[in-house]
Amino acid sequence: MGNPDILLDVKDLKVHFPIEKGILLKKNAGWIRAVDGVSFSVRKGESLGLVGESGCGKSTTAMAVAQLEAATAGKVFFEGRDLSLLSSEELRRARMNFQIVFQDPYSSLNPRMRAGDLIAEPLRIYAGKKIISISENDIQKKTASLMDRCGLSPSFADRYPHEFSGGQRQRIGIARALSLGPKLILADEPVSALDVSIQSQILNLLKDLQQELDLTFLFIAHDLAVVEYFCSRIAVMYLGQIVETADSQTLYQQPMHPYTRALLSAVPLPDPKSARTRKRIILKGDVPSPSAVRSGCPFMERCPDVMERCRVEAPVLSDLNEKHQVACFLYDSPSKQI
Amino acid sequence: MSKEIILHIEGLRTEFQTERGVVQAVNDVSFDLHQGETLGIVGESGCGKSVTNFSILKLVQYPPGRITDGQVLYNEKNLLECSDEEIRTIRGKHIAMIFQDPLTSLNPVIKVWVQIAEALRLHQGMSKKEAKAKAIELLKLIGIPDAEQRADNYPHQFSGGMRQRVMIAMALSCNPDVLIADEPTTALDVTIQAQILEIIKNLSHGRKTSVIMITHDLGVVAEMCDAVCVMYAGRIVERASVDELFYDPKHPYSIGLLNSIPRINQDSDERLHSISGAPPDLIDLPHGCPFRPRCTQAMDICAQKSPPEFSIGGNELRTVACWLHEKEHSHG
Ligand SMILES: Nc1ncnc2c1ncn2[C@@H]1O[C@H](COP(=O)(O)OP(=O)(O)OP(=O)(O)O)[C@@H](O)[C@H]1O
Ligand SMILES: Nc1ncnc2c1ncn2[C@@H]1O[C@H](COP(=O)(O)OP(=O)(O)OP(=O)(O)O)[C@@H](O)[C@H]1O
Ligand code: SF4
Ligand SMILES: [Mg+2]
Ligand SMILES: [Mg+2]
Repeated sequence: MGNPDILLDVKDLKVHFPIEKGILLKKNAGWIRAVDGVSFSVRKGESLGLVGESGCGKSTTAMAVAQLEAATAGKVFFEGRDLSLLSSEELRRARMNFQIVFQDPYSSLNPRMRAGDLIAEPLRIYAGKKIISISENDIQKKTASLMDRCGLSPSFADRYPHEFSGGQRQRIGIARALSLGPKLILADEPVSALDVSIQSQILNLLKDLQQELDLTFLFIAHDLAVVEYFCSRIAVMYLGQIVETADSQTLYQQPMHPYTRALLSAVPLPDPKSARTRKRIILKGDVPSPSAVRSGCPFMERCPDVMERCRVEAPVLSDLNEKHQVACFLYDSPSKQI
Repeated sequence: MSKEIILHIEGLRTEFQTERGVVQAVNDVSFDLHQGETLGIVGESGCGKSVTNFSILKLVQYPPGRITDGQVLYNEKNLLECSDEEIRTIRGKHIAMIFQDPLTSLNPVIKVWVQIAEALRLHQGMSKKEAKAKAIELLKLIGIPDAEQRADNYPHQFSGGMRQRVMIAMALSCNPDVLIADEPTTALDVTIQAQILEIIKNLSHGRKTSVIMITHDLGVVAEMCDAVCVMYAGRIVERASVDELFYDPKHPYSIGLLNSIPRINQDSDERLHSISGAPPDLIDLPHGCPFRPRCTQAMDICAQKSPPEFSIGGNELRTVACWLHEKEHSHG
């Protein structure tokens, strides 16, 4: 069944949210196409980065992959199994294998639970449902070792989230996500809310854990330098679609899609000399609303290279070579069949 | 650099009275802003960047906040001693500020053009018609498409990037001498950020406006600034030209910070440098150097006495508040 090296395979995923008008009689006034036909796969042990601007559908993609958001269309395969076909019992079991780490270490932890209980909670739930068998004593031991591994003194187990700094809270979130021994971590902007000096502590921790525990990552971020550092391959999203994928180095050295090029040239470089000499591509206008009914390429309004064809047909992600895919008519991508 | 000093800040201290105790948000901060220069103020969340700049314009709310010491000289006038009326004229007309969060500083029930025009009418005595025309011209200047129509929108009908640009239009409407931009692009996407930074850059070059650029993003500093002050725990720990800071940082905190940023093309197998620990509690500052608990080079004296700002090679624009640099300091 498929390629055994592929842990996660996402095929033409769509998540559309209804726009409801009216207070009593809710009428559907259109759709927000948050994720609009996204396909990618993640190999075992790899970290795939998902980048793109606010609202382009990164979090919704992760939520749909984790089956926490219903897909409008498309399929998610984990270890070759179509997750939409699993019974709720089977899905619960499968979920042990993929866990989310959220962006906001402030709001994603229940403020009324102590750190130790937050980390132990998934173990207790799974033990309670008899999906795993582990004694309370072993849960305590495991929690202490997770805390220790994530750089938290186990003596902090009795403290509440507000007693921790942002970086420490993110460590709690990571320890909790690791408690069930997942294979895949869906990390949704895990360091975006943190200061630089703390951000590097957490990135180092995630990297160490990846090696030690043989973890696979879907790593979402809007900071391109962070993604490039952490990920071996990158997918660039724009308005609900993936417009380019390549291994990190190729993407940075030979970006092909006009949006990727603009994005890379817009990143402020922490190096004054190169900042002074490089040429930047300044895009015009704002990202269009994902609810607008449209045809053509998602990037056409802001694209410096837009052609006639781009306004009527939509390009599909296709191979430039084995390791580099792009959706753009400049490179003769095929059109989407409607 | 013998350019004219336009804003001189000396010995500024601002504190907040809270239930837990007194927060020393700004702790003896001094710096000069020169004519036409863009000065960056960098540092991590909570280190006092915003409060420093609120203090300059007397915008600190009492209670709980209080400016306890220092002076802010603008045209030989100490702004901290100005009457409310005087400072109101200076704000907006001579020194304009772009706030961190544009939604809270725009009035949600007033049309966009009216908000821009208000400042013009107040400070430049324009008629309503003149002010409207000028407001639309400014909206065009900052790249709002269909400016004539969009001028009639309310703030919530604008995207985050557009609202931030409106803030800039308002700040620039009166051709201020000084623009204080407090994280003007933090909430924005990189491609929108690039648009905004470009606008600010063109204006500071074109109109010779002096800019104070507050940010925690060292990339933004490298792109925008001529000189930089690095803040830590309410103090300036290093000041330097932008090249000096990036290519020859002196303070252990600045060095740690610069090494912590992942760089594009950095070898992914390499571990990132990181500064262990977290910034101190401003209510309960450690004795001596505020960075000591995280510093790998701390010495005995660091725990006893807070280091003053030592100037490097007699250059008063190049200072480091760290005992390691005491010897490089030439007296006199
Ligand atoms: N539950 C929901 N109901 C309606 N619209 C939604 C919902 N969740 C997300 N959206 C919309 O879907 C689009 C994609 O949102 P998403 O949160 O996935 O973006 P993102 O790429 O994660 O952005 P950010 O970088 O800001 O986190 C946005 O326009 C958002 O407003
Ligand atoms: N109204 C207030 N009451 C109590 N403490 C305050 C108040 N305003 C600011 N502070 C404290 O003053 C310190 C400096 O805050 P400031 O807003 O200047 O930080 P900053 O450097 O601008 O941070 P950020 O990058 O998060 O904007 C912080 O520790 C903050 O908690
Ligand atoms: S003064 Fe001492 S503790 Fe402070 S930064 Fe310098 S060496 Fe480190
Ligand atoms: Mg998101
Ligand atoms: Mg601030």
